[in-house]
Amino acid sequence: MSRAPRRRLVPAYLVTGGRQLTSRADLDRLSVLTLADAKLTETPEATAGIGPEHHRLCALLAPGSLSLVECAAHLGLPVSATVVVAADLIESGHLHARGPVPRAQEIDRSLVERLLVGLRTLR
Amino acid sequence: MTGAVLAALTTALVVLAGALWQRNRDLARLRAAEALARAVEAREMGTVRRLDAVTGELRRLARERVPAAAMALTHPHAPVPPPPSAGEIGPEAVAALNEALDAVLAALGEERERVDAAARASMRGATAKVQSLLYQIQSLLHELQHENDDLRLLELDFRNELALRRIQATAVLCEAWPGLARTDSPLAEVVRGAQSRVPGYQRIKVTNHLREQRLGVVARAAEPLAIALAELLANATAYSHPETEVPLTLQHGGGRGVFLVIDDAGIGMEEDALTRARRLLVGPEGLLLTELGNPPQAGFAVVGRLARQYGFTCHVEPSPYGGVRAMLRVPAEMLTVVEDEHDLSVLAPEPVQSRPTPTGREGHGVPVPGTGEPTPRRPVDVPEPDPDTARLPTRRRRAPRHQDAAAPADARTPARTPEEADARWSALQQGTVSGRNAVGGLPAPRAAGGRDHEGDEGT
Repeated sequence: MSRAPRRRLVPAYLVTGGRQLTSRADLDRLSVLTLADAKLTETPEATAGIGPEHHRLCALLAPGSLSLVECAAHLGLPVSATVVVAADLIESGHLHARGPVPRAQEIDRSLVERLLVGLRTLR
Repeated sequence: MTGAVLAALTTALVVLAGALWQRNRDLARLRAAEALARAVEAREMGTVRRLDAVTGELRRLARERVPAAAMALTHPHAPVPPPPSAGEIGPEAVAALNEALDAVLAALGEERERVDAAARASMRGATAKVQSLLYQIQSLLHELQHENDDLRLLELDFRNELALRRIQATAVLCEAWPGLARTDSPLAEVVRGAQSRVPGYQRIKVTNHLREQRLGVVARAAEPLAIALAELLANATAYSHPETEVPLTLQHGGGRGVFLVIDDAGIGMEEDALTRARRLLVGPEGLLLTELGNPPQAGFAVVGRLARQYGFTCHVEPSPYGGVRAMLRVPAEMLTVVEDEHDLSVLAPEPVQSRPTPTGREGHGVPVPGTGEPTPRRPVDVPEPDPDTARLPTRRRRAPRHQDAAAPADARTPARTPEEADARWSALQQGTVSGRNAVGGLPAPRAAGGRDHEGDEGT
């Protein structure tokens, strides 16, 4: 019984605020979120209309950028709910989102080998 | 000769007198007999009349009084015909008739309770099954939400939660237990959880005036409190305009626990409806399902039953917002402080930090057993260093670094461009100039607070 995880009391859908949402194509799991302006989170009037989850996301990003999926893990929310929070903040100008870092291309093995050979001949 | 005549006359007189006397006596007897006969006849007439009256009353008992009394069992305002008068049918008959009616009512009451108990038992069985199935669905949805980024999963979760609330309320009404055991849960989370179970939850604005963010509800009362609060919130949102907000305030009640105050700007309740609600909120014994109307209005009955069972109290009154104000008092013995291993949900409402509370007043907070000193753990985004947070493992490791980030931010604040400074000062100047003009031009200030000024001048 004690092994079983605690049943959650606060469901994640609360972040949607009952709005009809469309999934955002520009935000995926690996999008990098950056705080637009650190000052914005500290003035109370700038953050008047937003909920505690928005505060927490801004606070989380204050030291530096994080990917969306990392933010989700830190907030303890599903990624889909984190997307909603992030989209709100991007719309209000608190956050910037950048596409994911492109996957590194496969490096031409022969090129590396030739480079190695070249380096060895330098000695 | 004369002597003989006299004797004969005397004899005749005597005989005549005797005959007269006898006739008189017979006459008197006859009269007496006639009177007796009349009296007997009269009495018989009376008996027949009484019999008719009793028969009439019996008929009235069957046709009017029993149905009316049965109706009055379910509808307290239904008119009850008067009992028969003792003058017509006699006190014994009245007593016998009333006894018959009482016996009918007693049998009816017993039968009603038996039927109601049977209905509750069958509902209990059904709700227990459905509830456990809904919890399984919830767990699956929770897993799916973490694997899949589809927003419809959140929507589905909400629908599931609504169904769960209905089932749970019905189960509580049928004397089942709330169906879920929780650990000590933070009050802010319980409130947020209750909010999530209500259609139109986005209209509920939670204001947390508690000084202690980790103030929690003891394990046994956490789920019941969430159910009761959800019912009250559902009432508030259902009976108010969809455009209006429903404020929910958490506040300390001195040493008397915590108050949760829900207001709505809805249609409000009539005085008799309020009286009925207050009767239900006490959690009366032997409340029948059939007493809740059709369709059953279960909200207050559910709250009342849980309140009596778990020891919190609820009160309703007309709200200054126009609708109904419901106040839920969570007594101090139901409160605790949640241990630090429990990570608060990010969605839990943060305490309003309007002004720093003097440290002397902390002691006046809720006397919580097992807490030496109330050291409120600050929410993560408060840019003050908290030595406690530094020592805590895992997720909160980002918090201390945040202080470093906060320091340069503070340093940057005073830097202001000349254009900004210019704009601010000219705004100030314009404000004072326009203020002076307004005072000089108008004879009396009629701006904000005008009503008070007028009142003062009038008296």
